[in-house]
Amino acid sequence: MTVLKAELARLAKGMFADPIPAAPSVELTVAPAQVEDAAAILRFASKVGLRVLFWGGGTHQGIGNAVAPDIVMTTHRLDKIVDWQAEDLTIVVEAGVTVSDLEAQLQQRGQTAVLPESPAGATVGGLVAAGLSGWRRLRYGPTRDRILEVVLATGDGRVVRGGGPLVKNVTGYDLPRLATGSLGSLGLIARLCLKLWPLAADRGMVEVADPQMALRTAYRPLAVIETTERSVAYLAGTRAELEAQAARLGGRLVAGHRWPEPLAGPREFVLRVPAGEIGWFVDEMRVNEWAFQAAHGVGEVRLVVDRGDDEQLARLREEAENLGGALVAYSSPEDGVFDPWGAAPESADLQRRVKAAFDPAGVANPGILPGGI
Amino acid sequence: MQLSLGPTQAQLDSCVTCGLCLPHCPTFRLTGDETASPRGRLTAMGAIAEGAVAADEVYARMLSFCLQCRACEAACPSLVPFGQMMEGARARLARERPTTTGRIRRLLVGKLLNLKWLLALVTSGVGLVQRLGIMRLLPRRMRLARGLRRQRVFPHSAVGVHDVAPAVPAGSVALLAGCVMDQWFPAVHDATRGVLSMAGYKVDSPETQRCCGALAAHEGAERDAARMAERNVTALQGYDYIVSDAAGCSAHLKDYGHWAEGGGSVAARTRDITEFVAELIDTGRLPEVDGDGGEVAIHDPCHLRHAQRIVDAPRKIVRAAGHTPVEIDPDGLCCGAAGLYMVYEPDTAEALGERKREQVEMAGPTTVVSANPGCEIQLRAHLGKGYRVLHPIELYWEALNR
Amino acid sequence: MALVDDLRSTLGSDRVRSHPLELIVYDKDAGVTRGEVLAAALPETTQEVAACVRIAAAHGVPVVARGAGTGLAGGSVPAEPALLIVLTRLNQIWEVDEVARTAWVGAGVLNLDLSRATEHLGLHYAPDPSSQAACTVGGNVATNAGGPHCLAEGTTVAHILGVEFVTSDGDVVLLGGKAPDPPGLDLRAVVVGSEGTLGVVTKVLVKLTENPPAVRTLLLTFDSIQAAAATVSGVIAAGIVPAALEMMDQPMVVAVEGFIKAGLPVEAAAVLLAELVGLEEGAAAEAAVVERIATAAGATSVRVAADESERAVLWKARKNAFGAVAQAAPDYYLHDTVVPRTKLVEVMTQIYEIGERNNIRMLNVFHAGDGNLHPLVAYDRREPGMSEKVRAAAEEMVRISVAAGGSLTGEHGVGLEKRDLMGLVFEDVDLDAQARLRDAFDPNGRMNPGKVLPAGARCFDFDLMAGQDGGSS
Repeated sequence: MTVLKAELARLAKGMFADPIPAAPSVELTVAPAQVEDAAAILRFASKVGLRVLFWGGGTHQGIGNAVAPDIVMTTHRLDKIVDWQAEDLTIVVEAGVTVSDLEAQLQQRGQTAVLPESPAGATVGGLVAAGLSGWRRLRYGPTRDRILEVVLATGDGRVVRGGGPLVKNVTGYDLPRLATGSLGSLGLIARLCLKLWPLAADRGMVEVADPQMALRTAYRPLAVIETTERSVAYLAGTRAELEAQAARLGGRLVAGHRWPEPLAGPREFVLRVPAGEIGWFVDEMRVNEWAFQAAHGVGEVRLVVDRGDDEQLARLREEAENLGGALVAYSSPEDGVFDPWGAAPESADLQRRVKAAFDPAGVANPGILPGGI
Repeated sequence: MQLSLGPTQAQLDSCVTCGLCLPHCPTFRLTGDETASPRGRLTAMGAIAEGAVAADEVYARMLSFCLQCRACEAACPSLVPFGQMMEGARARLARERPTTTGRIRRLLVGKLLNLKWLLALVTSGVGLVQRLGIMRLLPRRMRLARGLRRQRVFPHSAVGVHDVAPAVPAGSVALLAGCVMDQWFPAVHDATRGVLSMAGYKVDSPETQRCCGALAAHEGAERDAARMAERNVTALQGYDYIVSDAAGCSAHLKDYGHWAEGGGSVAARTRDITEFVAELIDTGRLPEVDGDGGEVAIHDPCHLRHAQRIVDAPRKIVRAAGHTPVEIDPDGLCCGAAGLYMVYEPDTAEALGERKREQVEMAGPTTVVSANPGCEIQLRAHLGKGYRVLHPIELYWEALNR
Repeated sequence: MALVDDLRSTLGSDRVRSHPLELIVYDKDAGVTRGEVLAAALPETTQEVAACVRIAAAHGVPVVARGAGTGLAGGSVPAEPALLIVLTRLNQIWEVDEVARTAWVGAGVLNLDLSRATEHLGLHYAPDPSSQAACTVGGNVATNAGGPHCLAEGTTVAHILGVEFVTSDGDVVLLGGKAPDPPGLDLRAVVVGSEGTLGVVTKVLVKLTENPPAVRTLLLTFDSIQAAAATVSGVIAAGIVPAALEMMDQPMVVAVEGFIKAGLPVEAAAVLLAELVGLEEGAAAEAAVVERIATAAGATSVRVAADESERAVLWKARKNAFGAVAQAAPDYYLHDTVVPRTKLVEVMTQIYEIGERNNIRMLNVFHAGDGNLHPLVAYDRREPGMSEKVRAAAEEMVRISVAAGGSLTGEHGVGLEKRDLMGLVFEDVDLDAQARLRDAFDPNGRMNPGKVLPAGARCFDFDLMAGQDGGSS
């Protein structure tokens, strides 16, 4: 045992980091600055069976089954913007770059990576690992459609690259999309190439009475969001386009975008259902008096509930699952009352085998996926 | 004239196997089977030509399953002459691997169709059967008789008719009377002659003409087809235009360059009645008639739309007759008649006929125009009593006489 | 032969092809390679497909799935003798959800039929490969097919929400679904573009896209390829992502005009087809910017499609380009490389130089807007030494594309054709990871073996237990 510890200490030299207060307490916290260093730790971990928890900004660690780690690996030293090809609308970044830094830089040249609007400190790698898409998904599609290339330090300690830094590419299996939303179950997402979009000239909002009708009348709005208080269509384009959209919607154009404030509460959930079915669920939210934000046309509802609403939640989950959807916990998975994922997917067996292809020893965020994969 | 048998190497080379023809092929659409597709048939022809496999009954079946609608040809960006290749392949197969059924079929289309007395006899028979109401006793393969117009017991023919020339004729026209067209659709010929005379043309239907030979060519009876072409080249010389009111015949006349010495001249002078009349309407030599604008469904015969690429003309005529043309099929897929195909391949013909019926029913109108006799028979057989099916020239002639 | 007997007893004899001539008909796609087919089965349901997979397994025979056979990379051509499962008969459109803008369709539904079936709802299926009139949605899923309009909308994978999938064991599972981001790994994304090497997709849940209220289609002519390429780079750099931005060079325009007779500018050295969509206000403004950039780059003429029928003719010209090549020569060979859009001018110049140096006939038509090149060589394979020369030149074009930071394939897939070039873009360890991923789906190597990954992709030297020397540390 001491031999192993000594070896680990030797490997981790130069990577030691202070323990992260919000993370589970572990003996070793490492912050590799090179993907090869991360791979070396994982290779060792695989060899001796130490569980590794990956940590970005810690803003979305509540997603998924709890991991009981032996090692925490953070990405805060993987923080470089490697290559920005502004004229090709692509950028290569390391996982630990924060979303706010990246988007601020991109904005200076009129571009965006369309990453989710996120709390301070959220990292690109973390959000991609969590598979999160922002409000603008309705117009630009999910985040995974903009991940062009990924470099992984796999669970068994290899440095594997998939995809390529090109806007169109079908060479080989789609590792970038597989890694998106994998929650670290395949290994550490160390570097990414993102597809960028030019920012529209202007932005505006129109309050609408019927969000489903707004989806049909506006031409490809960025988002149509219904909250407890109101429904708003978010628009982008030239001034003339915005005015035309507002006329179609029959509402008053307000300049700029104000996205809904993040919901905070004892228990956060995301409900995902077929876009056409969202109405029933929104009605349920209102009946239960839960704070919610519903993305129409996408089929996603963010909600916070109090402890003690388990019966209603169970009913909501059952309805969602009957429609092929899910109710996923985004916070306090450890409260034990509610499984964070719900029913295991029918492809669980395949998923287990795919994880094993990258992480045969099961050390990379073990058990975090549905079905304890 | 030297007839080349089978597809030539140059023809086979002209296909790059891109597959863009596939969705346009009715038999491929029905079966999803590459062996029933134009590209598959060409590949098979190539394999036989290379000697990779022997021509056997499977090959024969692949060839005979083709409707020869030539929709693939119109869709082909590489301009593969599929129709000619299929005719050549069938002719070669007939020579190298003769079968009894094949011989009977070729005898029918190569020889018997030219026996006017025999056709007349059949027509009388049909007329009698229709009057006796015993249609349903006919065998399955003969069900197409359901789609026939009511026939005369004493048929009349347009062959040998010479209409009176106008004082200053606009030109001379030879009407190709055709075989079944002449016997079973005399009213179409009447309308054609009427319209052309009205436009100032002197219309003859020369005595020495024969069947155009299209069916013989499709069936691989290439020597008979060539003989008929030669006869017609002579019979049709001297006329400014040669007009046919059966799309299958006009399409074949336009191919005469491959079939007989002097055939090129026939081809150059040939017009389908629809394109001829549409042009006369365009130039103001024939009038546009006011009508109630009633909707008329347009059926595009394959040998009009695909083989001759004539699409606008029938629509123009329908409009000139005071009606509103209604589309039934964006792809112009074959109705399943395809000459004698509906007799040889009743199942496929039936399936395609039903598709066409559904399309017509979806479109709405109960009057349907078709510029080819085979299609008309098939449409009438499938659409049943509530529908009127006729040649666009008849619709126009009716309007002119209103 | 027992394989055929078992298939016949399951499907009936009319849906199994096994005669030598029939097998020749099925032994290639729209590309140049031939393979060996043991039998071709035409199932009609997912359960029948699953049965075919199990029958093949019982006989130890590999399985290759095929759609309409319009692929250009040999994806559906067996690399070793195999059972061909032809999916054209799974051609039902099961459900169109107008509100959610999705449809469940059989793998054998034709791409264009799907758009036609949803036209009355103001919706369409966005990926539009040039073969869209003929190719199947299932085939599109297998290759992650592209098309001109993938520039703004993304390739097939961005439009596939779920698939019904027959595993290598003959089980049926749903991957993905109608609700966004189903929990767990996104196996749907891995299956899209996997060229039938993981299993067989029988049903597809597609996303439908709203038809734009306004469309501007521009035909721009140039007296040099470089000027056209510079326009492309300029448009992207100006922050405009057109719906489509396509280039054709002179030899290609001449070939297409021979078929379409639409009065295309056959005298121009290069032609760009640009399409801007959106609200009337947006499309018009963007079209004006594109026109300005083109003029600055030396465009010799600008033609704006006056109406839908003129637009249709322009697109028909573009989409029939490959097929029209036989007018130039009986065979063609083309690649599908992608380069960064900033490198377009440089790479195109090199590609023409390769053509000239080798004295081969080259035609170009490609998705310039996303840097997806299709250098196409027209030749006659019977000319001695020609095939080798063409392949060598084509490979050189691939190498210079990769050297410019590009990739092997943007939309046609790796298939047989580019399999052995995978080492140009991936390290051994990357290919090994892909091989492991494949093995997770198909441990016995029965699904379309010999495709995508080169032989020897599995590098056992990387074995974990071999210690730390396996990689750099």
